[in-house]
Amino acid sequence: MNYPVWYVPTFGGGVLIALVAIIHVFVSHFAVGGGLYLVMTEWKGIREQDQSIIVFVQKHTKFFLLLTMVFGGLTGVAIWFIISLIHPAATSLLIHTFVFGWAAEWVFFLVEIVALFIYFYTFGRMDDHTHQTIGWIYFGAAWMSLFLINGIIDFMLTPGTWLANHNFWDGFFNPTFWPSLFFRSFMSFMLAGCYGFITATFLEAGQTRHKMIRYSGIWALISLALSVPAGWWYISVLPEKARGLVGGVSPTIARAATVAAVSLAVLTGVVILLILLNPKKARTRVLTVIVMVAAMGYMGAFEWTREAARRPYVINDVMYSNGILKEEVEQITQKGFLKTAKWVQNIEVTKDNQLEAGRELFLHQCFACHTVGGFNNDIIGRTKNMSYGAMQKYLATIHEKRYFMPPLVGNVAELKALAAYIAAGLHKKPLTEDAVAVGDRGKNLFDNNCAPCHAAGVLKPKMAGWSKEKIRTSLDILPALNPAMPDYSAPTADKNAMSGYLHSLNNIGSAAAPPKEQGAALFEDNCAPCHGFDVLKPKVSGWSKAKIRAALDKLSALNPGMPDYTGAAAEKDSLADYMVKQAGGAK
Amino acid sequence: MNPASLIPTADTLTAHWGWFQFLLMLTFPLHLFAMNAMLGTALSAFICHVLPERPYRELSHELSKALPFMVAFTINLGVAPLLFVNVLYGHLLYTSTVLMGLFWLAVVPLLIIAYYLAYIYDFSYIKLGSLAVYVVLAVLLLLMSVGFIFSNNMTMMISPASWLRWFATPDGTLLNLADPALLPRYLHIMTGSLAVGGLCVALYSSTVLKLDSSLVKAGTRLGMQLFTWLTALQVLVGTWFLLTLPGEVMKRFMGNNMFSTGLLVTGILLAVATIITGYKRKVMATLLLTIPLIYVMSFIRDSVRTGYLVPYFDMTKVPANMQWSPLVFFLMTLVLGLVVIVWMLSKLPVFRKS
Repeated sequence: MNYPVWYVPTFGGGVLIALVAIIHVFVSHFAVGGGLYLVMTEWKGIREQDQSIIVFVQKHTKFFLLLTMVFGGLTGVAIWFIISLIHPAATSLLIHTFVFGWAAEWVFFLVEIVALFIYFYTFGRMDDHTHQTIGWIYFGAAWMSLFLINGIIDFMLTPGTWLANHNFWDGFFNPTFWPSLFFRSFMSFMLAGCYGFITATFLEAGQTRHKMIRYSGIWALISLALSVPAGWWYISVLPEKARGLVGGVSPTIARAATVAAVSLAVLTGVVILLILLNPKKARTRVLTVIVMVAAMGYMGAFEWTREAARRPYVINDVMYSNGILKEEVEQITQKGFLKTAKWVQNIEVTKDNQLEAGRELFLHQCFACHTVGGFNNDIIGRTKNMSYGAMQKYLATIHEKRYFMPPLVGNVAELKALAAYIAAGLHKKPLTEDAVAVGDRGKNLFDNNCAPCHAAGVLKPKMAGWSKEKIRTSLDILPALNPAMPDYSAPTADKNAMSGYLHSLNNIGSAAAPPKEQGAALFEDNCAPCHGFDVLKPKVSGWSKAKIRAALDKLSALNPGMPDYTGAAAEKDSLADYMVKQAGGAK
Repeated sequence: MNPASLIPTADTLTAHWGWFQFLLMLTFPLHLFAMNAMLGTALSAFICHVLPERPYRELSHELSKALPFMVAFTINLGVAPLLFVNVLYGHLLYTSTVLMGLFWLAVVPLLIIAYYLAYIYDFSYIKLGSLAVYVVLAVLLLLMSVGFIFSNNMTMMISPASWLRWFATPDGTLLNLADPALLPRYLHIMTGSLAVGGLCVALYSSTVLKLDSSLVKAGTRLGMQLFTWLTALQVLVGTWFLLTLPGEVMKRFMGNNMFSTGLLVTGILLAVATIITGYKRKVMATLLLTIPLIYVMSFIRDSVRTGYLVPYFDMTKVPANMQWSPLVFFLMTLVLGLVVIVWMLSKLPVFRKS
């Protein structure tokens, strides 16, 4: 609201941030752990007076320099660039709060560059002791960079007592600082071992290759083992809400947890395989690729979880993902969002500008996380089952129903405008407050979806003699009937309503279709926002009405991500009736 | 719509604004030095490929070894001033960044490609053969295109009137091309950079490469010629830039603001002096005059920004909530970091021999 929005409907900001962040994290942690790996391995070579190890370290340093300094350094800049594009308000808050932390990190970055250049270019041209010292300085500076960034990143998840006093150090040494620092350090050492495989598999001498693969494997395995309890510690200090999200309330975290578990298992297995079965004569590049993919999966899942665990905030308890400050919500709601926001053209919602005002509300309150017909969190897919009325009800309690969604901040007219934009602007659905009668609803749907190309009067003779079922079936296969016609991708209830209307054109009297049953309306309002019946059907197929009815009493126990149904018992009965009928289950 | 109503609210500072201004003006010229050396090295290496004499071929090989260092330090030394600009002008900068998001993000891949090409040019110089000239030319053009993107952002952030275009084009594809000062400003900084870069090549040749007299001669001649001619050209480009500035901003340098006018006069005098020493190929004297010249130019640039923002923003009015300990922590880190860097450099074989 304070800033303009970079509108790229297909990609959306979240995907770009995730892409850049995961790549950067994968390289930048290597830049830390790899520093220790280099000096320790060089020391091993010096101690064992094994020149082949020194040659390996020199080769590995070149790879390390090209990967971490160029790619790692610039993807770090890229993260800064992209977060300031997608979350300018949050970036500004972080920069202003921790400017001297970032500035100190820049000093360590400078020391890193100088040290790494000297370390690389003076192999064999400097005495061992000084060369090792330069290596240790590199590692110290790189780890200090991690130390500083770790404090700022974790502040976003657990701001702790900073919320009360805005003190730099309280924000920096926040509740997740230490567990995260340990976890990240072990991860960085683990990655160093994994990257060691890459250089090692390119070594020509079989004996050295065998030795360095085993050495890297042990290095990775020990670090990996230590990272697991550190990760557990990290989760255990999360605040209750975040722990709930990590525990399964957030569907994206549930997916990330699966990726982490699979990656961890694969990583452990393949690394052990590399240590035990590493052949002296053959190269093991395929296994190395698997190691890298699994390590990236493990690391990426952690980062994804950390990002998702602070939702609906970008800075926990301070600023929502859409840049609205928590402390300003009440004031904005009173005044109206559009009157408070800077980058809008519609200051007040009117009948004429409703859709345009709704679009502006979408841009400033939803687009930070939702693409429009794009790759991630597509708003069109997520809302396809909702009517205008259902959308309004959903938006009114969106944060209460699904904690990880920020509340809609605005007055009633703004809420309606946003609902109108999504329902009519994106889905071309009718803007009727509540489509009670199936016949009326069908006409509205027809007017919105079909009438632009063919009037009802033209269609009427073509459908003479058609049964309602035939019309209903044809709505599922429109492109097959005529390739010029787009597919009608609407919920089943909408198709039913429209076929009722179309049938009534040639069968006067049948238009007075029975009012939509209560169960269907309740389902649409309460369940469809998250899962259409087509998704639910296979899950409840064969369930008795009693089983469905019982499940409605304990939704959150079935899935921590689902809110409990708070309606009356009679409503639940109707809902169970409807569902069992739709699913074709036993009464 | 009044463009001023679009300006986001600036966040509270954690130290007096003067600290950030001081740190910005201290670190930005350091970035300029590195950036100038980088561009000058790339340009000189390119010219060396075109010149037929043998020492120039060898000089380009020597410059290829220096180029990756220059890129690394330009990027690193750019981080600090960009950080302090974020603090002082973040609300303006982020806005223009969103408007040109696509181009702004393009900076990263452009730099990554340029950086890797610089390493290919260095590590595979011999192997590249006749392709080397194209590689270094690509590096130069890529780096100059990054400069153009920066010029757009730095001018768009101080021109809220241009921000209204976002309502029609919110997809991050806006540039500040309609600003008449954009092109002369960009050319002004590029001409200056390439000139100072030439001086750096002369310095590099006469110090690091001093064991080979033919290289010293070739490098000093090429570098100082580049410096002198480009600085002379700069007088014209600079005048053009001055004349395209909005009236009120231009008048700051014409007597309306004594400090800014004094800066411009000092800058012109220093530039004329460097042209003379440059013409006489006196490397150290030119360098000693150029260092203050770059600082003066940085202050002039800052005054232009302040002039543009007079109707919109006054950094002295941004609220501050002073927290000393993080500032002290940073200053201590900086001192410690510099001590460690000096110690490490002192251990380099090249310095130990001397």
